[in-house]
Amino acid sequence: MSESGIDAERRSFIACALTPSLIVLFAVAVLPAIYLVVTSLTPFQLTAPGSATDFSVPLRNYGLLPGDPRFVNSLWVQAKLSCWGVLFQVLLGMLLALLLNVQSRFVEFARTFFLIPMVLPPIVVAVIWKLIYTPDISPLYYAAQLLNFTMPALTSSVDFALTAIIIADTWEWLPFTFLMVLAALQTIPDEYSEAALVDGASKLQIFWYVTLPFITPILVISGMFRLIDSVKAFPLIFLLTSGGPGTVTEVTNYYAYLLAFDTNEIGYSSAVTVVMLLLVAGISLALVWMGRRREAMA
Amino acid sequence: MKNASRGSSLTRRKLLQASAATAALTAFPAPLIAQTKPFAGVTLHGASFQHRFFTLLQKYIPEFEERTGMKVDLQLSAFPVYNQQANLELSSGGSAYDFVNVTFILAARWVAAGLLANLDEFTGDANLTPAEWNPKDFVEGAQVPYRDAKGATYGYSWEGGAMLMGLSRMDLMEKKGLKIPKTFAELQQVCAEINGTDGVSGITSFQLHHWNLPPYIQGFGGNIFRKPPSDIMPALNTPETIQGIEFYANLLKSAPKGVLTYTEDQARQSVLTGRANIFIHSSAWVTPILLSEESKVKETARVVRMPAGPVHDHPASNSQGLGIPKNAKNKKAAWEFIKWALSPDISMRLVKEHGHSSVCRRSIITSEAYRKLNTVNGQDLGALYLEVLELPAKGENYMAYRTVKEFPIVGDVLNKAFEQVATGQLPAKDAMNAAQDQAIAALRRAGTQL
Repeated sequence: MSESGIDAERRSFIACALTPSLIVLFAVAVLPAIYLVVTSLTPFQLTAPGSATDFSVPLRNYGLLPGDPRFVNSLWVQAKLSCWGVLFQVLLGMLLALLLNVQSRFVEFARTFFLIPMVLPPIVVAVIWKLIYTPDISPLYYAAQLLNFTMPALTSSVDFALTAIIIADTWEWLPFTFLMVLAALQTIPDEYSEAALVDGASKLQIFWYVTLPFITPILVISGMFRLIDSVKAFPLIFLLTSGGPGTVTEVTNYYAYLLAFDTNEIGYSSAVTVVMLLLVAGISLALVWMGRRREAMA
Repeated sequence: MKNASRGSSLTRRKLLQASAATAALTAFPAPLIAQTKPFAGVTLHGASFQHRFFTLLQKYIPEFEERTGMKVDLQLSAFPVYNQQANLELSSGGSAYDFVNVTFILAARWVAAGLLANLDEFTGDANLTPAEWNPKDFVEGAQVPYRDAKGATYGYSWEGGAMLMGLSRMDLMEKKGLKIPKTFAELQQVCAEINGTDGVSGITSFQLHHWNLPPYIQGFGGNIFRKPPSDIMPALNTPETIQGIEFYANLLKSAPKGVLTYTEDQARQSVLTGRANIFIHSSAWVTPILLSEESKVKETARVVRMPAGPVHDHPASNSQGLGIPKNAKNKKAAWEFIKWALSPDISMRLVKEHGHSSVCRRSIITSEAYRKLNTVNGQDLGALYLEVLELPAKGENYMAYRTVKEFPIVGDVLNKAFEQVATGQLPAKDAMNAAQDQAIAALRRAGTQL
């Protein structure tokens, strides 16, 4: 058989092997996304029969978005939640990984223990924090009372509600960055730090000049992953604050949820969701681009 | 011998009777079965949100299945889940359900959009509805949401909610020389004076502000819409509405910390344990301070009408109904079920056997048995419940704001604006002016002509 014949056969085999997966992927991911985009071009209201197929002003919903103060505010809230949440998760995850990067049975047990929040179902995490943040039953408030310290109701306070969500989100996802950084730390050859020690470097200098350059790509990658994932903080917001007080913790996906399921504005909610999808897709593409750039530079 | 002969003669007679019966059954099997079990072979699909009423009803359903021959498949989901599913199903013209719960907040929407079957066609037919079922026995105030503009009925109520005021710590009030508040001003004073005494909060509430707030707004003469259901221009920034918002925000200063995020359960728990004195909510949530075994304040509790405003006395009330989707496959069977589930007999059994008092049949609420079961420490809870439940049907239907299809949009805006006022983010006037603009923009966006 000629070489081109083998190539054609290989291509045909690859196509045959990939087709079922692509069909499934198309059905579960692409079709709903297409439906979402199509719906966003209509004024679809559950209470208005026929509105699902009204394409008379297809870009009406998108035109309304910039003038909707709640949508604009929700993007800002999402940005604050994502930035602070990711920053704390990366920094604390890194610190925890540095602390626990030693060989000991106790530390091994502690590592497993620290992973628990990440494997809990999100709604369980939300319930745990609901208990912590509820003044009448929370041990936190009880302790504060014993110390004669008055704590505000965190989830209904304008100043603390978003912080309360960030703390809970950080608790839940810190193990992810911890795990990633710990894995990276364990790949650093000991020779580098030993050589630096011989040259008289302090521990801080070793961290700054040896360890950090090694783990920086992992920090960036895990930060980007968490940034993408941070738009999914829905259960925490749903259970802890319902987006309040006012719109202080109302992120974009929660606003889209209210529009779709509380007020039945499916078309407009789809437009909000499409914008969110584009933003997340943009971040994902940046992540892919960074990965490729890193490979090219290596 | 004599006995043997009689025995033999009986055997022959029995044999003859059995032969005749067998012949008759062979000749006319179906009509005979149909006469005994008219809906044999039918599976009735129904849906509602989870509620004690249905949990109790499920205990009686085997009796209904036995009598009619049909099988009842009742799907119960969480309140928001059910509302979403049913709304989607009915709006898309589906026929998956034969009967549904007509949720109060969706009632007007479903009735106006023609998504439900007209039940007058069933009650008006003597073959389908016996006179003793008496549709007029349902409390008129509870039936208002299920009627269209022409007065046709699309649902019958199985649950009524009447806003009452529960006071858990009358002992503290008496110590301070305070009387049960009857006006908004007195309510404010009582809450402020009790708050902090023995660690008790003056009042408790929960996060569904667009349910808790309107009685205060209406009490000062305001409303959510200008004149619902005919004029649905939002009226969120009128001086009366702003006054109501400011009043309720001030009232919550006497509430436990974090009350803005309280659920109904949290609020109820705070009065059952005596940690909060006043709770103003539907009877089913308030009366447990007197009736529930969990209550630690039975001896010091009172349940009364909520205080009246300076302009109106409009305690909220609502109801939940059973209806038949327009495209249901088994309408007659569904009506048979609704007729049975809301019959005087089942309603009375629910009251007597399970203490379920939020029924909507007047004859049951005013019965001696009901009164006996629902009179605690000399307080006739049934009379209070009936009094409030009837109010929307007397004169102006002040609950109409809640049954118009535009309410969820405006209610959501109201919720957010109130929290901004209660947490001091904005003065009431600014928050409500912004809310008015947002509500109008949101309604226009949703295609509402204002």
